[in-house]
Amino acid sequence: MEGSHAVAEAVSLCRPQVVAAYPITPQTHIIEHLAEMVADGGLASEFISAESEFAAASIVLGAVAAGSRAFTASASQGLLLMTEVLFNIAGLRLPVVMVCANRAVGAPINIFSDHQDSMALRDAGWIQLYAGSNQEAADTIIQAYRIAETCELPVMVCMDGFFLTHTFEPVDLPGQDTVDAFLPAFHFARTLDPTRPITLGGGSEPDNYMEYRQHQHQALVSAATEIENVNLEFAQTFGRDHGGLIDAYRLEGAEVVMVTLGSVMGAVKDVVDSLRGQGQLVGALRLRCFRPFPASALVTSLCDTGCNAKRIVVLEKALSVGADGIVVTELRAALHNAGMAVIVEGFVGGLGGRDLTIEVIESVFRTASDGVSTRCRFAGLKPESGDQSTMGES
Amino acid sequence: MDSQLHEIRFHGRGGQGAVSAAALLSLAAFDDGFEAQAFPKFGSERRGAPVEAYVRISTTPIRRHNQVYQPDAVIVQDSTLLRSEPVTAGLAEHGLVILNADRCPDELDDGTLRWICLPADQISETFLGRPLPNTVLLGALAAATNWISLAALEQAIGNHLARKGEKIVSTNIKALREGYRLTHELENTS
Repeated sequence: MEGSHAVAEAVSLCRPQVVAAYPITPQTHIIEHLAEMVADGGLASEFISAESEFAAASIVLGAVAAGSRAFTASASQGLLLMTEVLFNIAGLRLPVVMVCANRAVGAPINIFSDHQDSMALRDAGWIQLYAGSNQEAADTIIQAYRIAETCELPVMVCMDGFFLTHTFEPVDLPGQDTVDAFLPAFHFARTLDPTRPITLGGGSEPDNYMEYRQHQHQALVSAATEIENVNLEFAQTFGRDHGGLIDAYRLEGAEVVMVTLGSVMGAVKDVVDSLRGQGQLVGALRLRCFRPFPASALVTSLCDTGCNAKRIVVLEKALSVGADGIVVTELRAALHNAGMAVIVEGFVGGLGGRDLTIEVIESVFRTASDGVSTRCRFAGLKPESGDQSTMGES
Repeated sequence: MDSQLHEIRFHGRGGQGAVSAAALLSLAAFDDGFEAQAFPKFGSERRGAPVEAYVRISTTPIRRHNQVYQPDAVIVQDSTLLRSEPVTAGLAEHGLVILNADRCPDELDDGTLRWICLPADQISETFLGRPLPNTVLLGALAAATNWISLAALEQAIGNHLARKGEKIVSTNIKALREGYRLTHELENTS
């Protein structure tokens, strides 16, 4: 089935009481299918077509504050229009679950996929999980509600627009009973209730704001354990293990390791197999969880089989314009803090939907280390845009 | 890991159902016990504009989500696309082209590719009352290759089009079988 439909079915299995959204490509099929299910009577939920993404985010904020399980989805400019509300949802520690159907951000306007939209929200205080396949996207929705409601933190499930949302591939959807057993009904301890009035989202002064923020930070950091635990329990119950915080592939003895996120990992695994077949010691690692940043899990995973990596190449679909790739910067800091002096090179590619082909992935693996790991390089630029020998360095 | 992978590219015009045909083929392949993936060429779709869709059929799980650059077969739903679209791009020697046309274009058939040309518009018009060439062309693909069984395509049509009613299902199955039969006939006479 289509990725968007698989995700909508998974959302439905989680029995959200409120679904609010505003359409935007490539997210629209998810919400359309949910609307269909509500209209057909298959999903008992309040479906609200909002007048903007800002409104949609505000509606789910209110719904969860009032004790309902809620869902929304967006992408690109739509996600950015939600920004102010998304920070508030996180600060209020409301367990909202949303899907970001990852899409490039304008200008120039572009409906195709990259990770700039959700990456721009990396400091909003949301847990961010990136799916590698449609099966994982659907399964991650079910996990996300468990994680969100246990940690009282919002979760953004990120899936590549088009590459996943518009692709038909096999997805095994669990039965309602199994999901009900895995995900109990939502009971929100701080729910707004007229018979027991409390203030939610009151003002804060210099004498306590910092402590709120420190607690929020601590909660997000601690969520890593819950993400791992939920993944393990999910694997035991449903028989599918997507890797918790990270999805490591053939790291045993690997001297070159590619680090990436999202649906490109499938092609990266194919390239790793083919290069291994030629005797090259390569491996790959996918950040399934980007927030909280899994620094210690990354270090552990890279050193599981003896810290053999001489070179790490990060291939990511977003950048902090004027600085560098985003993941590469955080990975360098994590490895530096762990005392690992491995070379980490960053490549930005696949922007605005440009396909990260097998050839581009191979060339990133093969590009010789230049010993200078501080430059932002672009993978897969058109020949006229830069010197291909340096992958279009700029 | 010994894997058999077939990649198919559909060329059509917005409204002809290239994406639906690709989805139908992938569902049939899945029913036939294969791993399968179908997706459109990503972009905004407009009625009448050139559209592409892709299918992968494999004996092992399909991990990549890249577009298809070197198809084993292309299915062309509208022969006017030959004028504007590089429909045979990426095909290897003896790669298969299934074209909705009365006859194969002599000037293109230089012997390097395997052309199968059948009047899928007329055939579908006979059975469905409208020129909807998809199921005829899928029948041709099943006959020209051993990648997918006719039975699985019939079952997928039954499942996929059930919401549109019994008549749509049965007439599409007839169109599918006619595409299959005619392709065998063409292959045996050529």
